[in-house]
Amino acid sequence: MATVRTFRDQFDWPLFVATCAIAVLGVVNLYSATSASGALSEAYLQQIYWLTLGAGVATLVAAIDYRHYERNAWIIYGGGIALLLLVFLLGTSIRGSTRWINLGGFSLQPSETAKICLIIALAKYLHHDPKTEGRTLKDLVIPGLILALPMGLILLQPDLGTGLLCMFVFGTIMVLTKLKIRSLVTLALAFVFSAPLAWNYALHGYQKNRVLAFWAQLMGEADDRIIRTIGWHSHQSQVAIGSGGFWGKGFMQGTQNQFRFLPDQHSDFPFAVWAEEQGFVGTLLLIGLYAFVVVWGLRIASTAKDRFGAVTAVGVTALVFWQAVINLGMVSGVLPVVGVTLPLFSYGGSSVLTLMIGIGLLMNVSMRRFSF
Amino acid sequence: MQLSPRREVGEFRKRYKWMALTAIVVFSLLVGRMAQLQLVQYDEWARIARENITKTISLPATRGILRDARGRIIAENRPSYVVYLTPQLLAPEDVARVAELMNLDEAERAALQRRLDEIPSHRRTHQIEMFGDIDREQLAALETHRTDLPGVDVVPKPARTYPYGHLGAHAVGYLNEVSAEDLERLGADAGYRAGDVIGRMGVEKGWEAYLRGHRGYRRVLVDARGRRQREARGFGIAHEEVEPPTPGHDLVLTLDMELMTSIERAFAGHPSGSVVVVDVNSGRVRALYSKPSYNVNSLVAGMPQADYAALRDDPFRPLIDKTIYESYFPGSTFKPFSALAALDQPGFDPNHRVECIGYYQIGTDRKRCTSAHGEVDMRHALVQSCNTYFYVLAERVGLEPINTWARRFGFGERTGVGINSEARGFLATREWYTEHFGRFRVGDTMNTAIGQGNTRATLLQLALSYGALANGGTLYRPQLIESIREADGTLVEELPPQVARRIAIPEEHAQIIASGLFGAVNEQSGTAYEARVVGGTVVAAGKTGTAEIQRGSTRRDLDPRRAWYFQRSHAWFAGYAPASDPEVAIVVLVEHGGGGGRAAAPIALRVLQDYLGERTSVSPPATSPATSSTPRTNAARTTSTSASEGR
Repeated sequence: MATVRTFRDQFDWPLFVATCAIAVLGVVNLYSATSASGALSEAYLQQIYWLTLGAGVATLVAAIDYRHYERNAWIIYGGGIALLLLVFLLGTSIRGSTRWINLGGFSLQPSETAKICLIIALAKYLHHDPKTEGRTLKDLVIPGLILALPMGLILLQPDLGTGLLCMFVFGTIMVLTKLKIRSLVTLALAFVFSAPLAWNYALHGYQKNRVLAFWAQLMGEADDRIIRTIGWHSHQSQVAIGSGGFWGKGFMQGTQNQFRFLPDQHSDFPFAVWAEEQGFVGTLLLIGLYAFVVVWGLRIASTAKDRFGAVTAVGVTALVFWQAVINLGMVSGVLPVVGVTLPLFSYGGSSVLTLMIGIGLLMNVSMRRFSF
Repeated sequence: MQLSPRREVGEFRKRYKWMALTAIVVFSLLVGRMAQLQLVQYDEWARIARENITKTISLPATRGILRDARGRIIAENRPSYVVYLTPQLLAPEDVARVAELMNLDEAERAALQRRLDEIPSHRRTHQIEMFGDIDREQLAALETHRTDLPGVDVVPKPARTYPYGHLGAHAVGYLNEVSAEDLERLGADAGYRAGDVIGRMGVEKGWEAYLRGHRGYRRVLVDARGRRQREARGFGIAHEEVEPPTPGHDLVLTLDMELMTSIERAFAGHPSGSVVVVDVNSGRVRALYSKPSYNVNSLVAGMPQADYAALRDDPFRPLIDKTIYESYFPGSTFKPFSALAALDQPGFDPNHRVECIGYYQIGTDRKRCTSAHGEVDMRHALVQSCNTYFYVLAERVGLEPINTWARRFGFGERTGVGINSEARGFLATREWYTEHFGRFRVGDTMNTAIGQGNTRATLLQLALSYGALANGGTLYRPQLIESIREADGTLVEELPPQVARRIAIPEEHAQIIASGLFGAVNEQSGTAYEARVVGGTVVAAGKTGTAEIQRGSTRRDLDPRRAWYFQRSHAWFAGYAPASDPEVAIVVLVEHGGGGGRAAAPIALRVLQDYLGERTSVSPPATSPATSSTPRTNAARTTSTSASEGR
């Protein structure tokens, strides 16, 4: 090493600032979003605790050279799977799905942490499997299995949103590698043909309803009955966003929020609250922050010194990207409603913790681009 | 520490740019979508958001009050209480509690549960009207437990009440809730909503537009569950917008309820019939009495099906307004008009005498008279109601002139009273007879002349026509509403009398008719002489009538043991009083009462005595015939003179 780099040089300030900005805006927004409902009015404090804890964990994650994770990747993966299995033994059921493990004072959602474990496992696999020629379907069998195990367990809970998310993250990582055109076409065809099967056998009634409602609203065919029943959430969310206008209604002034027309305003629909109260200006700012984090994450991946770092960075970035896109799409009515949270902006301990670990990993990769 | 060797990352290199580009495109699309929602479609979404949190509560208008000519209340609004339930806020045990407090029986409980179960989920947060007009005990019970039952609201709502109950029911009318068909028929512009009341008959229906007023609105902020938000919290929306309701106009009717009460009393001996009294100098209707009647208050509350069926099937037809809606053969009360038609004929001599031997032979047909009257001139024919005289008169005059004169007096056309689907009445023409009976015979004219042909008239028509006879030829339009007032009593509009037509009646002709009508009541040979009130002070004039019932016109479903009754003639009296200076005209019909002189005249004379007697005794001498000089009273004065001559 020709130059001695200080911690200050190595530290990824843009990533840090962008992450903090999203988290702070999220807490501010959460304060407004939950002010109207008595039971949740302390949620913003909870969020602050989780963010603080998350920051600690992220610092820890970033401090340890990521090559240690590479070494212990299978252990990490195994831990994730074990937690998923624990859900079925100890899980508490909320609204028909069993996603949480109660750990004394708080509850943990293993499907969240499993996403990170999956990324690390895939990074580990690809790290040891360099290819110069295009990958065939046969090459996808092992990564496919790595995906299938946690995803299957998640879908069993059932948690469609997280399951799909795992698939998208997997897909993004695989796109990073060179796939043969033939393999791509075959995969695409398989997806198309499995869709009706999934519709008939895998989806629950309420999930189908959401898709149907989404389709009806997208086509402009939603009548009052559909809006009042299965399309209610999506409709009210669009009302909130649209009625925000350019400048927004002002902090704590969103009527859709304050008069409780928004369901899950703290977990799934905080963006609607934000857009209603901060307007298009706020919308632009927040989407801009996510776009920055994603592009910055890809830049970190491109500067990574090894395949494990690159794949990990891409995986975490993909996680942020897909969660943001799916959540924004669903609150604005261009995607069906699936329970995917907005990264670091939504309320939720496990989600915050998971993403902070992810950001820690990104930071880790970023800070070690000059080392070795 | 031994770390894994570095691996080749070149495989991924060229893909980062494409990924970044893709991410930027996707985020741009999302920004575009947000711009579409927040900038392009802003107005629409803002409107929906505003509608979401505002709830419009309608404030019902108070309906106008009806008063009679002397200011007595005929219809008013009494406070009543309505129970609303909000299903969302009702636990199953609450329903049982409500049923207990309301003192419901098993069937009512089941009905309540069924209604609650039928409410669709999106309406379960709404207040739903469950019970109307609860009684005092129910109100007390619910109010006591109000705090334990958040899903129950007791709301005051005015209910219509009619202090006179069944008296004048047909003319006054009643209210009840608009039906789904009404709402469809009236359309959205009419402003009616489910749960509103609407006038169903009489003045309540005819003057609905004046009585109902305009509903007001109160806009309040509500949350997603429809709960009122008391705090405005400065959402840039007026916390409460109130547009107060406009109460309906009060109406002062021309009816006199004391007169109606006295008619009711005088009619006590007869099961069915009707009476109309009009002011001869204005056409103001003082009484519209139709018997039997029904208590309008019971219809407002919603009458049990069985009770309604009983009313509908009652052979005395309580649901029919016999003063306006139904028309009858006028019988001998029609004779003055035949007489006027004859007098109008050139060369007709009213003093010419016709011999009545109890019948009149025309070909093989023997037409009956009430008795053998001997030699009668026109005046005596009216006094004694001699049919023979009018048979001869009819032969000479013909059908057309009789119809023409009847038409001048308003027969065969609607009076324009404006309520209760007024009957037009009927004047049969030569063409009509030809069409219906194949040919026209002189006998048809004869029957017409004595009111037994196919001429039909309503009591109101007859009363107005006698009013015109009494006042010297002015046919008024009937007036039921004297003035329109604001709820606070200020006058909106005084409705002036309206003249339908002035009929030119030569004075000497009028004198003959007036004299005949005076004689019928006040001369010993008069058909109504026996009916005079003992010790009465009011001198009336009038004509009796006994209208035969056409064969086959009675109802077939009658109990044969009662059928004889429904074959009896209708008894009529039509006249006016005081004879010297007429104030009111009266028509009495006693259905199946038999002879007019025996059944109808006593009622009429009694009512006139009650109504005018008191006033006559206190009236200043200025109204006495001697000092009066108007042409109208001239005719009347001559009447009394000729009457004394005839004696």
